[in-house]
Amino acid sequence: MAASAARGAVVLRTNIGRPVAFVRKIPWTAASSELREHFAQFGHVRKCTVPFDKETGFHKGMGWIHFSSEEELHNALQQENHIIDGVKLHVQPQKPKALQGDQTSDEEKDF
Amino acid sequence: MKYFSLRCLCHWVVRIWEQCISAGAGLMYRFLPCHGPTLIPFITNCVSFCRGLLSQARLHSIAAEKKNYLQEEPTSSHRRNASQFDWALMRLDNSVRRTGRIPKTLLQKVFDNTCHSGSPGGNQALLLLRSCGSLLPELKLSERTEFAHKIWDELQKLGTVYDVSHYNALLKVYLQNDHKFSPTDFLARMEKGNIQPNRVTYQRLIAAYCNMGDIEGASTILGFMKTKDLPVTEAVFSALVTGHARSGDMENAENILTVMKEAGIEPGPDTYLALLNAYAEKGDIDHVKQTLEKVEKSDLYLMDRDLLQIILSFSKAGYPQYVPEILEKITYERRYIPDTMNLILLLVTEKLEDTALQILLACPISRESSQNDFGSFFLRHCVTMNTPAEKLKDYCKKLKEAQLHTSPLQFTLQCALVAQKLDLAKVLMKALKEEGFPIRTHYFWPLLVGHQKEKNVQGIVEVLKGMHEIGVTPDQETYVNYVFPCFDSIKSVRAVLQENGCPHDDNVFSQAELRSKAVNGNLDYILSFLESNTLPFSFSSLRGSLILGFRRSMNINLWSKITELLYKDGRYCQEPPGPTEAVGYFLYNLIDSMSDSEVQAKEERLRQYFHQLKEMNVKIPENIYRGIRNLLDSYHVPELIKDVNILVEREKTDSRKPSSSDLESKLEKLKAENQPIGDILKQLIVMLCSEENMQKALELKAKYESDMVVGGYAALINLCCRHDNAEDALNLKREFDRLDSSAVLDTGKYVRLVKVLGKHGKLQDAINILKEMKEKDVPVKDATVLSFFHILNGAALRGETETVKQLHEAIVTLGLAKPSTALSSPLVTLYLEKDDLPAALESTIDCYEKYKILPRIHDVLCKLIEKGETELIQKAMDFVSQEQGEMTMLYDLFFAFLQTGNYKEAKKIIETPGIRARPTRLQWFCDRCIANNQVETLEKLVELTQKLFECDRDQLYYSLLKLYKVNDDWQKADAVWNKMQEENIIPREKTLRLLAEILRNNNQEVPFDVPELWYEEEKDCPTSLPSPVEVNLQIMSSHFLFSFIDAFNIFLTAKKQNIVFDNETYARLINLLLMKDNSTQAMQVKDFAETHIKGFTLNDAANSLLIITQVRRDYLKDALTTLKTALDLDQIPSRLAVTRLIQACALKGDTESIHDIQKLVNGLEDSIGLSRMVFINNIALAQIKNNNIDVAIESIENMLTSENQTVDPQYFGLAYLFRKVIEGQLEPALKKISIMAERLANQFAVYKPVTDLFLQLVDSGKVNDARALLQVMTHHMWSSEAPVMKSLLELIPELIDKEEAYTCLMKSYVFDNDVTSAKALYESLTAKNVKLNDLFLKRYAVLLKNAGESVPFTEPPESFEFYAKQLKESKETHL
Repeated sequence: MAASAARGAVVLRTNIGRPVAFVRKIPWTAASSELREHFAQFGHVRKCTVPFDKETGFHKGMGWIHFSSEEELHNALQQENHIIDGVKLHVQPQKPKALQGDQTSDEEKDF
Repeated sequence: MKYFSLRCLCHWVVRIWEQCISAGAGLMYRFLPCHGPTLIPFITNCVSFCRGLLSQARLHSIAAEKKNYLQEEPTSSHRRNASQFDWALMRLDNSVRRTGRIPKTLLQKVFDNTCHSGSPGGNQALLLLRSCGSLLPELKLSERTEFAHKIWDELQKLGTVYDVSHYNALLKVYLQNDHKFSPTDFLARMEKGNIQPNRVTYQRLIAAYCNMGDIEGASTILGFMKTKDLPVTEAVFSALVTGHARSGDMENAENILTVMKEAGIEPGPDTYLALLNAYAEKGDIDHVKQTLEKVEKSDLYLMDRDLLQIILSFSKAGYPQYVPEILEKITYERRYIPDTMNLILLLVTEKLEDTALQILLACPISRESSQNDFGSFFLRHCVTMNTPAEKLKDYCKKLKEAQLHTSPLQFTLQCALVAQKLDLAKVLMKALKEEGFPIRTHYFWPLLVGHQKEKNVQGIVEVLKGMHEIGVTPDQETYVNYVFPCFDSIKSVRAVLQENGCPHDDNVFSQAELRSKAVNGNLDYILSFLESNTLPFSFSSLRGSLILGFRRSMNINLWSKITELLYKDGRYCQEPPGPTEAVGYFLYNLIDSMSDSEVQAKEERLRQYFHQLKEMNVKIPENIYRGIRNLLDSYHVPELIKDVNILVEREKTDSRKPSSSDLESKLEKLKAENQPIGDILKQLIVMLCSEENMQKALELKAKYESDMVVGGYAALINLCCRHDNAEDALNLKREFDRLDSSAVLDTGKYVRLVKVLGKHGKLQDAINILKEMKEKDVPVKDATVLSFFHILNGAALRGETETVKQLHEAIVTLGLAKPSTALSSPLVTLYLEKDDLPAALESTIDCYEKYKILPRIHDVLCKLIEKGETELIQKAMDFVSQEQGEMTMLYDLFFAFLQTGNYKEAKKIIETPGIRARPTRLQWFCDRCIANNQVETLEKLVELTQKLFECDRDQLYYSLLKLYKVNDDWQKADAVWNKMQEENIIPREKTLRLLAEILRNNNQEVPFDVPELWYEEEKDCPTSLPSPVEVNLQIMSSHFLFSFIDAFNIFLTAKKQNIVFDNETYARLINLLLMKDNSTQAMQVKDFAETHIKGFTLNDAANSLLIITQVRRDYLKDALTTLKTALDLDQIPSRLAVTRLIQACALKGDTESIHDIQKLVNGLEDSIGLSRMVFINNIALAQIKNNNIDVAIESIENMLTSENQTVDPQYFGLAYLFRKVIEGQLEPALKKISIMAERLANQFAVYKPVTDLFLQLVDSGKVNDARALLQVMTHHMWSSEAPVMKSLLELIPELIDKEEAYTCLMKSYVFDNDVTSAKALYESLTAKNVKLNDLFLKRYAVLLKNAGESVPFTEPPESFEFYAKQLKESKETHL
């Protein structure tokens, strides 16, 4: 539990200013490869994570799609329905959470 | 007339409700019945039962409290319980409210948690027990009861004290689970536990007998109830119907209904349901149908829930063929969907899954939207109950065909995986495959997880074989995460797989092995693998594992070597963006994955690592360096930045920011240019303003106008507003604007300006101020909005229509505040105050049209109902239901009817089918009732909402208790406890605490284990305990604040740390606790102090307080012991303490103890200030209580007539005895005492007793008895008491100085409205310099005032009751 939370935090922090889609309500039958396959139609998927719970062997219905560009992310968000295995996904942009302290410097952007 | 029209209205409301339903309006009421809304008949069980239960409750409560007293030791663990219990209750309650059931796992979890918490409270036990019945449809009946017993025993072991509510809950569980048990054994068990059964107990025992068809047993219990005079309710009759039917006597079962009617109880739905179930159990469909028809024709209403019961009865008795006929009658109201679901679950549990499916398919669930699958719960439960796989496949097919479920097979597979059922999973996967669905690797992970936890190698092998069978190859993740952890080494995995003939891809396997090694920190292996590896392998795929590996290994040399290899070896980082980027990103991720404390701890190692990389000539891009720098900065290890910096490809220096010293000198330069006089002038004006010297301040301003600054004006404007000086305020504001048109006042000053200008009719100016607020963007906070409301409301109450309207309009259109209900209510208040109801309603509706709010709709409705304005009500209701929905309208009307006392109408409204609880609205009304102290209204609300769907009963009862607390009405509070048991409600802790508080405040026993409220324990900092001196101070200060909980908590914390304070501190704490009536805690402190401080004793005051507290809590034996202890220590206890103890003994009839006390204090009477009469009065009273009236009288007569009198007859006051006899309505004693008093007066010329008796009779309102006594005494007849009194006073001159005498005389003058005599009495008494008590003065003052005369002294401010009580108390302590 704690480990996955920590991992989540890491994912969050590394994604500042990056084109990431946050996907919820992923059916249990689909995993990261199904998601990657689906979202590939909108652009280059750099990374796709659907964390599994090692205690149950199921994932928790959430995942992150890392695109290469804002434009690709935008394309994905434009589409109204994302359906995998007959189930409608909830797709939203990963909210850019400000880092603690004065981390919102411009330098971050050209990183 | 009024009544009639209200009834019409009521019907009308119901009618439009019906229309809405039949028109299909309102999505959420799709399942409402289309037939007429038959109203649930009035339930006759309301108030009368509480009365009968009171004495019962008292009896057993004493027993329970005594037990508590003994077991109250482990108080500290209660602290943790409080919050946990609320959590548990919330989880269970949510589950019940949402689904009508509790999953077993949840109950088990809450139970385990409760056990872990140490000593669970009685309330938690009740909650758990209560959950073991029909709330567990997924469990077999026997398992449920087993669960209940497990809970019962376990909690008992942990020290939970059970009271009658627990036994009743257990009984209910037995009934719900069809558990066979012996009611007599049960009663015996209660008796053994010293628990008195109550009405609810008997009712349930009867039901238990009846369920077994044992009428004789039921009759025995019924007999018990009759001897105890307990009312026989419908529930009992319903049980008897079942009882006769199950004993095979249908005829008598039917007859019960007639018997009921003869007994004056109309058979309600419950009785008919019992009869219907009886027929169903016999498979008698004809009678079921006939009875149903009969019920339909009557004004009774059977709910879906009841019909479902009948279905269950048919199915269980083996008549599934009749189920469809009953199903037809079900209306499928939305609120009964959970009930339907629970029946389905129950049928599956009972292996009647085909019938369950039948009901499921009959559910009229919307089939259009493919998103909501229905039936999952059924499939899941079938999996749990091991329904055969082929049957399940068939159910899935049917559900899909019926379009109830889009993916039943997938869902069932998921359930099978969760339940680790490999065989079922395989069948389902094959079925899926046949239908063309892919089977994915991760489908097998849940199965592997189960075996992995148990290290079950064979199980793993079987799953892997199963995968192969289905045609799925395990991937890297499967091996790393789910297979390897089960084995000791990867080598053995390979061996086992080969042994068992599990085929595996060697490439996948070795990559998995590498990752696994990385995760375990085996960097040696990684290095050698990477060196010898020939497979294509990307760095990024390894990154995550590598980072974990790095963090687990502290071998920096290996870190560097691996990094170097990845950086330089062509196999790994060659494709763009190249090694610089890849390694840089890796370093960033590595640091990012670590917490700040981890980085701080590994600072030196990281430095070493970076320097080694530098030496290996590893470079990173500058932008990534900046990211790392920011990370290190945020981790507070900036020292490492320079060490990363050495890795950057090219170097660049930052541009410097301007220094702060530059800014500082600039500021000083500006300051020097300031005008000196302006500053001082401003200071002076501000000072004058703070002194409220407006005139001087204005003069000063006029004199130095040219030097005025903005700040000075602001202060002055505010001052004028405070002084209600609109004229000057406005002028100053104009000058202020001229001085600096851009200057802004603070919000408060603007608001005050608006208020003062509005009040003085300067509307346009006020509106201009508001406009300025908007233009200058003055911050508007919540408090500002509240001020606006007060401005408007003030104007509304003054009836200033234009002011209210224009200011409101301006505020809202300017957007300064949102047109909330509160802010807009003055618009309606305006007309309500003027009693102009049409205009008030119009204004409310107008608000809705403009702002979508309905201010004061409740008040408007109430007034309309009061005035019987049917047409206007109809208009209002039409509007509300059209705009806000029928439900809102119904609630509005319900509350208005309640508020105006039209309970019948209110009842009809709230029983409208389909209405459900709206917690916020109910709470709103509760709070309103509490604020206005409307006891009856709130009681009715609670009563009428009993059957309201999804109603939080505990919350409502909590509100009711809050109101009872305000009124200190412990009897009603106590009745609430009984009602809650009957309704099967689990009170939350806060409810129990409140109830206990009310009972305790009234010196009543608390019949349950009270959950204590404890502040959070400071576990985190056990070392930072305040020093004894500090603690001492805290206890002292808390003494003044009366926060005894704080003080006691400090004591407990210190006790744990074994810190001992001084004598004084403990004494103070004990005093404090005693004053707060916490004798148990006080004793705890005392015991601790006694064992830790040599010779610790309580002082006189503390012991006296302890005695008083013990007496109050009815621990007389303990009180006597305390008294002895105190006297042994040569202490002088207070007169009050001794008197209280003696009086308490007397009331118990304990003559012996009084004699004991007399002996104990012998010789100390004068020091204590104890009159001999205390003993004489109380011994006599004790004797009378023991029915030894003659003995008492004889000894009094002896004392008064014997030669050697110990007390002078004129001081022989028996008033206390007489009063107690009168109050206690001990008629025979009173008669004999009267005779004695007469005899003493007539034969022995001892007048004191007869005078006392006379006065007591007058005082307690027994005027006729008093008059009769006087007649006997004087042989004269008077028409009014005043002359009687006067004659009496003349007759017995020694009385004239007696306080009671003239107080009574004044009372009779007031009664006769005789101002002249009263004046004469007052004057004669003041002339004699008699000190007059407040009650006398109060009476006289009121008499004068009523006669329109002036009062020659200050009228005592308190009420009559207050002074009467005061006088009575002072008399009591003087006895």
